[in-house]
Amino acid sequence: MIDATTVLAIVLMAGVTYLTRIGGYVLLRNRTLSARATAVMEAAPGCVLISVIAPAFVSRNPADLLALAITLIAATRLSMLPTVLIGVASAGLLRHLIG
Amino acid sequence: MSITQEVETAGDGTGSEFRRGVASCAPILFGTIPYALVLGAQAAQRGLSVVELSAMTGLNFAGGSEFAAIQLWTSPPHVVLIVAITFLVNSRHLLMGAALAPFLRSLPRRKVFPALFLMCDESWALGLADSRQRRAAGITPAFSPRYYMGAALAMYLTWVAFTTLGTLLGPMLGDVGTYGFEMAFPAVFLVLMRGMWTGMAAARPWLVSLVVAALFYLFIPGAWYVAAGAVSGLVAAWLMAGDV
Repeated sequence: MIDATTVLAIVLMAGVTYLTRIGGYVLLRNRTLSARATAVMEAAPGCVLISVIAPAFVSRNPADLLALAITLIAATRLSMLPTVLIGVASAGLLRHLIG
Repeated sequence: MSITQEVETAGDGTGSEFRRGVASCAPILFGTIPYALVLGAQAAQRGLSVVELSAMTGLNFAGGSEFAAIQLWTSPPHVVLIVAITFLVNSRHLLMGAALAPFLRSLPRRKVFPALFLMCDESWALGLADSRQRRAAGITPAFSPRYYMGAALAMYLTWVAFTTLGTLLGPMLGDVGTYGFEMAFPAVFLVLMRGMWTGMAAARPWLVSLVVAALFYLFIPGAWYVAAGAVSGLVAAWLMAGDV
């Protein structure tokens, strides 16, 4: 099944993403960005990602909070796959034990 | 001598430059595959069909924004929110394109625009590093389009193929919600952020985003927490840049 709103969302996502890809070449290639503009652009992806997962940090389930803490520690030391596996396993196990 | 001829004579041959690009991307692909499978499985859980997910990863081709979009996905999706978040996550491409631009001057625009469609973190990093090395070695032009395309196409095909495979395999796991599978998202995002980490001072806006987003999530109904958190972090970055 293909839903019209879904198609619209996907096409617009692809459109804005392509604009970001050509924008630097088209608009910024002969310009020097201010230190402030650069700082904002560099912070932007992290600000968005942390905002998306913010609900996990204020979960009312102690098992999930503990699992998040374990996942956070794993993320500072390990690569993608082991971190995901540790995160999922700790959440599943802790929910079973205390949740 | 035309530009294309110059490019072709700069490498040992057209095929070998392409292969050199694929080879330098190969180790990165091992890291991309599990990440692509996780995205596909998550998308299936959120109700996206195989065709929809393949269209998203094939047309958008920017993993971070796709993870964010899937996390926020509802049925029907909140189009404005998802597109705005996609733009914010991918705004880093503006800086990446600007950094690569000096090396693209040797190419005609009809080649630059398709090449930029395939610019992701990995192909950009490889292309830029290779151009700098070639420039240091005195090779003209410094940018090798075939090397870049080798790396970029390997990345693209792997991403689309394995996100699609993830969508097909995901439902076989059954209802994964009870097993703690949602923790995959924070895990993926935290690893992505570790990759962006340049020190405590640069990460202060992230903390602002986290606190504001959490407060909005707790006290304001709806998905406003993402926009509120992201914008307050950007304002913080703007203000903090003044005192460094």
